[in-house]
Amino acid sequence: MYKTIKDLVTSCQQQQKPIWQIVLAAEQEQTEASETEIWQQLAKRYEVMQAAIRRATTGDGVYSPTGLTGGEALKIKKYRASQPTLAGGALLQAVENAVATNEVNAAMGKICATPTAGSSGTVPGVLFYLKDRLQLKQDQRLKFLLTSGAIGLIIANNAMIAGATGGCQAEVGSASAMAAAAAVEAAGGTAEQSSQAVAIAMSNLLGLVCDPIAGLVEIPCVKRNAIGAVNAIIAADLALAGCISKIPADEVIGAMADIGRKLPREVRETGLGGLAGTPTGQQIQIKIFGKKLD
Amino acid sequence: MEQYQSIFDIIGPIMIGPSSSHTAGALAIGHVAYQLFNGQPEKVTIHYYESFAATHRGHGTDFAIVAGILGLGYSDFKIVSSVKLAQERGIHVNFIEESQASPIGHPNTAFIEMTGSQKKLMVGGCSVGGGKIEIRQLLYHNCQIKINGFLPFALCPLDPQYLKVQQQVWKKIGLIRQIKIFHQQSAAVAVLFLSRNPTAAESQHLQQILPQITILQG
Repeated sequence: MYKTIKDLVTSCQQQQKPIWQIVLAAEQEQTEASETEIWQQLAKRYEVMQAAIRRATTGDGVYSPTGLTGGEALKIKKYRASQPTLAGGALLQAVENAVATNEVNAAMGKICATPTAGSSGTVPGVLFYLKDRLQLKQDQRLKFLLTSGAIGLIIANNAMIAGATGGCQAEVGSASAMAAAAAVEAAGGTAEQSSQAVAIAMSNLLGLVCDPIAGLVEIPCVKRNAIGAVNAIIAADLALAGCISKIPADEVIGAMADIGRKLPREVRETGLGGLAGTPTGQQIQIKIFGKKLD
Repeated sequence: MEQYQSIFDIIGPIMIGPSSSHTAGALAIGHVAYQLFNGQPEKVTIHYYESFAATHRGHGTDFAIVAGILGLGYSDFKIVSSVKLAQERGIHVNFIEESQASPIGHPNTAFIEMTGSQKKLMVGGCSVGGGKIEIRQLLYHNCQIKINGFLPFALCPLDPQYLKVQQQVWKKIGLIRQIKIFHQQSAAVAVLFLSRNPTAAESQHLQQILPQITILQG
């Protein structure tokens, strides 16, 4: 199993294969699963992602039991359909997909963690945007998941992916890096460009804290995924344009782990600091649970 | 060995929201207790530490961990009503928010105590992210077990009468990367760390030759 981004890129270059192909072989070797089983598993996850987006962007939308989040994916959909937008309607589709997924998650609906539930909107946000933008075929969509999974695996084993251990940079930051690498590959970029996209995407979200109001995976998680998705697309475009991160991807991942370990516990998924600690954040918490968390 | 081994540890699990570490991971810790207790408990006490203590209500950790204890799956919509389901089955469930640091050194920690039909089980686990868990402390078959253990691993109570046979069998199983044996007075339990999840056929084979084994899949 490849342990670093550098290892992975070197394997791709030596074998002249894209990341997804290297990962598929490694996965077969590691888990003894057949290639067919792996594609089936990927397809199952893809369907769950698609269903979640559909659920939040049709009918009346989806709302969480607390009423804190919901209905905004639908607002974005209507907004981008009815007028020229600042970001452009296409890019806002990624935002809509990401918000939709995390609204379903907050509503305790069915999602696929990528790499976590709190960050489950970022990868599908980018994937379903590129599906239309690049007219990706079904096999290319599943390859996107393979490549993003490979990057996530390296991050998880060298740093962390839980908000409680590393803050939001470990969740949405990791998800954004995963999506950025896969986006580069989907657009025909090289493995080296994917690694640049990982470095750029992760660098941009370093230090991001996990400060959910009332400890609920709602505010700010839902909109953070929108940023994660757009950040991934921009990082991928930068890498495809030939822009370079002076700090290599593995070192950026190391910096993320270092920052994660140094973050105070108040901003590591305890619902105490950051936005959760603001007067309004505290008021919301008291309204929902009737007492302060300490 | 790497903690996360499969891309499906990252692209997955398919689950009911809202948190992979506080909901799916909690369910996984509960599921370990379910497999090891092997029967319906009368009483379940869940101790939460650190981030779990602070946010278990917001994250649905209570129903997730109880769903695991009842043997429900990650994407079973019944998990949301698991606490009620447990009450209906006559299981007494108690949640305790501990104020001290986690005894096993992780912010997402839960200890599950289960008693019933003269059995007692304790599972101390932590949720490390993306739904993955580690089990670091156990009271199983009257044995205190402390491990640095991520799944998959298997537990096998030792039978002094068949100890030699058991050990011979273990040596032949290529899947086992490490064995640790824990003694407590007359009781002893072997922890068999596995290099990957066994296939269905391998699991079946293990169950046949070691009927008392419990395989905890990762």
